Amino acid sequence: MNLTIKAEKRESGGKNFARRIRREGNVPAILYGPGTENVPLVLKKRDLFDILKSETGENTIFQVLYDKDKPDVMIKDYQQDVTTDEILHVDLIHISMDKEIRVTVPIILTGDAVGVKTEGGFVEFVTREVEVECLPNDIPENISVDISELHLNQSIKIEELASIERVKVMSDPNYVIAMVEAMAAEEVVEIEEEEEEIMAEGEQPEVIKKEKAEEEGKAEETKE
Amino acid sequence: MLMPKKVKHRKQMRGRMQGKAIRGGSLSFGEYGLQALEPCWMTARQIEAGRVAITRHAKRKGKLWVRVFPWKPITKKPTEVRMGKGKGDPEFWVETVKPGRILYEIEGVSEQVARRAMQLAAHKLPIKTRIVSRELGELR
Repeated sequence: MNLTIKAEKRESGGKNFARRIRREGNVPAILYGPGTENVPLVLKKRDLFDILKSETGENTIFQVLYDKDKPDVMIKDYQQDVTTDEILHVDLIHISMDKEIRVTVPIILTGDAVGVKTEGGFVEFVTREVEVECLPNDIPENISVDISELHLNQSIKIEELASIERVKVMSDPNYVIAMVEAMAAEEVVEIEEEEEEIMAEGEQPEVIKKEKAEEEGKAEETKE
Repeated sequence: MLMPKKVKHRKQMRGRMQGKAIRGGSLSFGEYGLQALEPCWMTARQIEAGRVAITRHAKRKGKLWVRVFPWKPITKKPTEVRMGKGKGDPEFWVETVKPGRILYEIEGVSEQVARRAMQLAAHKLPIKTRIVSRELGELR
């Protein structure tokens, strides 16, 4: 909440300008929110790294200083290059401190499941984030889920989450958070599999269109 | 060998491999994954070889997701055949992989095992790859 970052207003758009900004070590951003006009901004990468690497991560609420304005904002979304992980663009959203917002909070699994320790299974972490609705000041850093009681083929669902004060969980209660699965059976005969593969190589898949055309042809014949 | 059960058309045009992966570029299931850094036509044999390498090293522990499937038929003319007389017959099946595409994901094994398994799978593939994990890595 006390964090304030400086930003400059972005005058022009387009990929040329955006690339120039990125070359200088900055990131193009956009600030928007209900009842306000969109403001294109330029942020410093260092400031963004500090926010994203903080304990609250993407859910950090901070202030952006530009043109004497200093609104409360948070990161709504950010784009990264798929291969280099470079941050390409950031979406900031206006936050009203007295209005509830929807955010996703990471889930942390705690404890060693019984199914893993004694029954030879492994934990599959299915849902890693949960959507919650709360006031900006009440956003939890993470939600920890104790899985130490889980046996083989047992799971824990969102509906079983312990309730947190002033935080409403909005994700589907039937979603599985984590489950203990059995290891796959040992591979018995691999040679047979390989033979099957070779046999299957010459095969060709069924063509959908051809089938339909034949069926239509038959239908026409019967009509005649 | 991996190939579709039903297809709408027996033969396809070659297409282009420009740009980076728009979808399938982030980890969706597992803790660790193998990401493509170059474009290629990945054949069903290569995908299968990578899968076998991972499952053998992980000794069938944990869970593996193969995020690519060879949907694209590639045709070839027989040897010593003159040009023309139509397109050749389908020979093999490929997936068009663009940079950034996640190829395999694994969960339920230690980091050391996962990294080694992915490394072994990477040796079976025709492109440069990198191992990615869920942890927030170095930001750029």
